[in-house]
Amino acid sequence: MRIAAVALTLAVLVAGSARPARAQFSFDARRIGMGGVSLTRNGNLRRYNPAYRAVKDRPGSGNPKVTIPVPLGLIQFFHDHPIGKLGDDPMFNPDSSAFNPIEVVNLVFNLPIFLEVKKAPTPTNDVEFTIGRNAFVVDLGAAQVLIPEDEFGMGGTSRLLDMGIGIKGFRVSVQGFENHDIGFVLGDSLRAFLKDADSARTNTTFNVLGDGLVQGGFAPTLSFSGRVTGRGSDNDDGVYLGAAVRNYFGVAYYRAVGSGGFTTGDTLFAGPNPVTPQLEALVYRDNGLGTSFGRGFGGDVGVVLISGPMEVGLGVNDIGAKLTWQDTRVDTTYFDNAGDSIATSVVRNHVETTTKLPISYIANAALHMGTGTTVGADVVNTGRGTVIHVGGEQRIGFLALRGGVSRDQRKKMQFGFGGGLRLGPLGLDVGFWTHSNSFSTQRGITMATSISLY
Amino acid sequence: MKATASVLVVAAAILSVGCGEGRAIFNVDVYSFMAGSGNDTVPYAVPPASSVDSFTVQRIVLPGGFGSSIVDSVRITSGAANLITSVGAGSIGFSLYIASDSASTHLPAALALSLPATTIPGPGTLPVVIVGDLSSGINDAFTHDTLWIRIAATGTNPNAGPLVGQMALTALQLRVVMQDKIF
Repeated sequence: MRIAAVALTLAVLVAGSARPARAQFSFDARRIGMGGVSLTRNGNLRRYNPAYRAVKDRPGSGNPKVTIPVPLGLIQFFHDHPIGKLGDDPMFNPDSSAFNPIEVVNLVFNLPIFLEVKKAPTPTNDVEFTIGRNAFVVDLGAAQVLIPEDEFGMGGTSRLLDMGIGIKGFRVSVQGFENHDIGFVLGDSLRAFLKDADSARTNTTFNVLGDGLVQGGFAPTLSFSGRVTGRGSDNDDGVYLGAAVRNYFGVAYYRAVGSGGFTTGDTLFAGPNPVTPQLEALVYRDNGLGTSFGRGFGGDVGVVLISGPMEVGLGVNDIGAKLTWQDTRVDTTYFDNAGDSIATSVVRNHVETTTKLPISYIANAALHMGTGTTVGADVVNTGRGTVIHVGGEQRIGFLALRGGVSRDQRKKMQFGFGGGLRLGPLGLDVGFWTHSNSFSTQRGITMATSISLY
Repeated sequence: MKATASVLVVAAAILSVGCGEGRAIFNVDVYSFMAGSGNDTVPYAVPPASSVDSFTVQRIVLPGGFGSSIVDSVRITSGAANLITSVGAGSIGFSLYIASDSASTHLPAALALSLPATTIPGPGTLPVVIVGDLSSGINDAFTHDTLWIRIAATGTNPNAGPLVGQMALTALQLRVVMQDKIF
């Protein structure tokens, strides 16, 4: 099943451009129904804007104590794919003639937590292959739009833990951090071959260029968040500021930059020379795991302005976060044609290298009208593309109607709508959300359901 | 390692898989594999009052990964040959055999296309057009990575003198239509 394995690997690479916009994914059907925007002062706001840690929840804002997703999609999935028979399921069995790696990729990008009420149709068109002794052309037709022209990948920074104590707005803590940023871009020859129906050529390299970084550690942090104006008033009106200074201790990092693919021989078909694997990569890694740290300083700032029904905020994270790793080893990994194997050799050892944490930010605005209407918007960038959410909610007694739009990380517009029913401490919400996470040129629609306890 | 371009076709086929009910269509330029190798000509020398088969066999390497595919149809969309006769008169028939191995191309079941014999009035060059749907019995051969074809010239000579010449291919392109079960 070498072919299937290769197919799956390539499918994952090529489909990387179809990754979900993580920043707008949520298990909360209310948020999904508003196109991803959150009208409460939690979640992304407190994560990315330190000033929001000083802002109390708006009275009657509807912040639930807990929100429990109702995984209707999982129920459907395990009905269709019994867990005891997954080994024989054609969907997961590469030996099956019905195995389709695209379905597996789509499953990864559309985890079946919620019900997919409209699956994104894959484009239907003939694909034409022209094969000659020294010619090989693939005309994907309309499916060419699925080939990424630009870099694709994934990335983000996580705060893995946050332990500390605080008093009068000041807080001393230790935060764990993890940052990963993995990007790929198709080489010119491979891109022209797949996207422009250009013929494969002899003695040509077809490859994918990659750049991946993973780093993690901990950071003692001194932060402050407080109300600067409006103290003592009965309402929340005022200006709030937040800031954090962080001393980063990088525990480990690993970075690989290079390309991988294959080089054609003297003849495309029928020739004596097989395709030659091509791999060239520089690999950086920290030598001092457990003995030394990658060091650096950085910080966060945030501000919130609340005036009556209106509030706006801006938070920026990891400003100036550049880590210096004193003891780094740099290897080169390549395919050794003579030995027909992958070889590694040391380029430099015990050298100093630096890495950066990407700056992430959130800007938000919300307007709470007295008629039960709340509208809001936010712009979020977690280091790999900006996501914009705009949405609103109209409450009518125990009912709520919601709607919103968003622009995902690939600059595609998505739409959400939904509603909710609140009976005392119990709320039941449903939200519909369009997405472009599948291997398709069209959108799918997910129905999210959740129960909230107030 | 299979054919050089196998990996390319795998990458492309991934996307064709993603194309719903779309078909995978292969235009195979068979002549390009034969040109210049000597296998693009079939010499014939038919003694008086007899019939003789002459043939050439060619191996075609196809992209791998299509073992579970179902072939809908195979057609010669463009084909031509010249019957270049140096001595005599008679008739020459064209037959194309396709199989997954060399020996099997000699089996009757491997017969993919047979054209009516062309009358040879005498020395000279006669063009022959080769087009038509191939027998569905050979479809399975296209799901293998290697394909063998045998081109036969069946010479019939009712005359008193010999018939000598060669059939020279100038074009042969196959169009293979597959259902969407590439993997």
